[in-house]
Amino acid sequence: MRETSVSQPADLHPLSIAYRAVSQLGQVGFVVLLSFYGGTDIANGFSFVLLGVAALGVALAAVLVWQFAYYKRFEYEITDDSFDIRSGVVSRRNRQIPLRRVQNVDVTENIVHRLLGIAKVNIETAGGSQSEASLRYVGADVARGIQREVRRRKTELTDEASEVTSEGDEDVVGESLYEISNHELLLLSTFSIDVRLIAFALFAVSFLPSESLPFEALPSRLAVVPLLVLGVAVVFVLWLIGFATNFSRYYGFVLRRVDDTLSYERGLFNRYSGSVPLDKIQTFTLDENVLKRYFNYATLGVETAGYSPTQSRQQGSETAVPLAKRERVLSLADEIDGVDEPEFMLPPKRARRRYAFRYTLLTAAVSAVLYAVSVYITPLRWYLPLAALPLVPFAAHLKWSNRGYYIGDGYAATRNGFWNRTTVILPYYRVQNVIESATVLQRRWGIATVTFDTAGSSGLRNDEARAVDIDADEAERITGEVRDRLQGSLAERRAERRRDGTWLDSVATDSPDASLGTRPDADDAQET
Amino acid sequence: MEQLNPRIRTVWLAVSVVAAIALAYVVGLAPTETAVQPPVPLSVVAFGVVLVVGVVYQYLRYKAWGFEIQDDAVYIEHGVVVRVKKVVPFVRVQHIDSRRGPVERASGLASLVIYTAGSRGADVSVPGLTPERADELRERLRELAIENEESIEDAV
Repeated sequence: MRETSVSQPADLHPLSIAYRAVSQLGQVGFVVLLSFYGGTDIANGFSFVLLGVAALGVALAAVLVWQFAYYKRFEYEITDDSFDIRSGVVSRRNRQIPLRRVQNVDVTENIVHRLLGIAKVNIETAGGSQSEASLRYVGADVARGIQREVRRRKTELTDEASEVTSEGDEDVVGESLYEISNHELLLLSTFSIDVRLIAFALFAVSFLPSESLPFEALPSRLAVVPLLVLGVAVVFVLWLIGFATNFSRYYGFVLRRVDDTLSYERGLFNRYSGSVPLDKIQTFTLDENVLKRYFNYATLGVETAGYSPTQSRQQGSETAVPLAKRERVLSLADEIDGVDEPEFMLPPKRARRRYAFRYTLLTAAVSAVLYAVSVYITPLRWYLPLAALPLVPFAAHLKWSNRGYYIGDGYAATRNGFWNRTTVILPYYRVQNVIESATVLQRRWGIATVTFDTAGSSGLRNDEARAVDIDADEAERITGEVRDRLQGSLAERRAERRRDGTWLDSVATDSPDASLGTRPDADDAQET
Repeated sequence: MEQLNPRIRTVWLAVSVVAAIALAYVVGLAPTETAVQPPVPLSVVAFGVVLVVGVVYQYLRYKAWGFEIQDDAVYIEHGVVVRVKKVVPFVRVQHIDSRRGPVERASGLASLVIYTAGSRGADVSVPGLTPERADELRERLRELAIENEESIEDAV
């Protein structure tokens, strides 16, 4: 089956020699130059600099030779069932990665790469903490070719294993699910600011003591003005940074579906493309901050298991749709995995009273602390936080009304947060365990919190499915229900699998080496 | 609902006593040259208070602990301040450890740790079992996990 050019043993792009040499020199050269410059005194400083430049020249030559050797000794090949790399100048390494094990082929191009027409290809499996293979660098078109070819062959292998004949091999480009429009990109970049920041900045500025600040010359009523200006300026700069970051990150975002994989491309300066296998998706998250909600927009993310959270990846969380109208996001989620719009149940009203109670206490406590400070250390306007008391009922209501939980047919969903509301949608068959907890105070109010733990959530971010402060009996009920539905939904999936093909009997039981690899999604078991 | 081995109370109690002594020592280090001399040394007071709180807490903690192997899952209940009820379906069990740390070995106890792929990882552990019971439970859970794996065929 060696019909395409990619299946021949291939070299890296020749320009990669120069690029790698320069970037390596960038690291080494700086140190070299610095070490020479360090010993400079005024008298013979000039000659030292010359020496430094000469050393740099030597280093450049050495690095070029090394990189040329690296290029010469690097070879990769896509065979029928594996991705092979032979590399190493001094010590040789031959690596074979079974295609079935490949989870992701990432292509990254930064702005220099794009000028040179080269790209970095990373091949990732579920196993290691870093990429199993990194091709630095191949031609940009070759990179795409590798991506397609690996995907195609992987599909072939999977189909063989499940004894389903597949004619859909031509469909490698896939259907486009979502492309970001200019309008959406601008809105997304605009929405990038954390609204809490604005609120906090204004709040912090508002009750600083005018006496302790260098605006004494001004009448005290006006003293607040420069502070406000300062606050606004800080917020503006932060917003600008957020705008630029998001703009360049999501520029030209495209989401496609190829067979059972979502693949996306994005980035203005650094072009990045990656893919998420559908059967690795654990939960969907819908992010709507206040602004997005007001304009009826939302962001869709998918949490996956199996990716090792390397530094470049955020805990196995990928953005599937950066920004789109809420309905569109939901219909896309439906298209991807049959997710319905959840109809949320709210926590009981006493939860709202509890929040009101909590906020009142909090406000009082802040005032008390400020009062203590102003008595013993420096005078402050300690009474200002009390002005927030009338807002307490509203705050409590908003916190309460933005919570919710939904126990649907195939999915459960929870949502939390007013400023940044996060809705987590999870299929029952992804539930790992169910944790019901109630603090002393929660027990006094007869409420409890239920957490549905999955393999995808990091717990650090707001991505855990938690039904917070719901009625204690109801908590008990949904714990039981989710538990039953998990079993039911697993049984259903099993039945589906049986209908789809007899691979269970023919492959898994007969051949001894067909343990995990042949099962399309058994590799989730890697989290051990 | 199965309770823990009563011996774990002794271990926990010992921990409380050590904590009380440590705190009393720290309090004792504080300067004693105050204007008003308390009738009882502060360190003794601290020791007493911490010990009483500790004893009550450990009593409640023991009472709150319980676990059960149910039809399709392990059920665990514990916690004094935060009451926690955990359900770990057998299909989700990745592997099971029975463990004996130094303190546990000294007291003739062992604990059981159940691992799932959940993000909370090794969170699910049951302390205060006799070594025999821990091994027995480990074996039992292993069987149940494999059995369920076979009947459901999808550990994802």
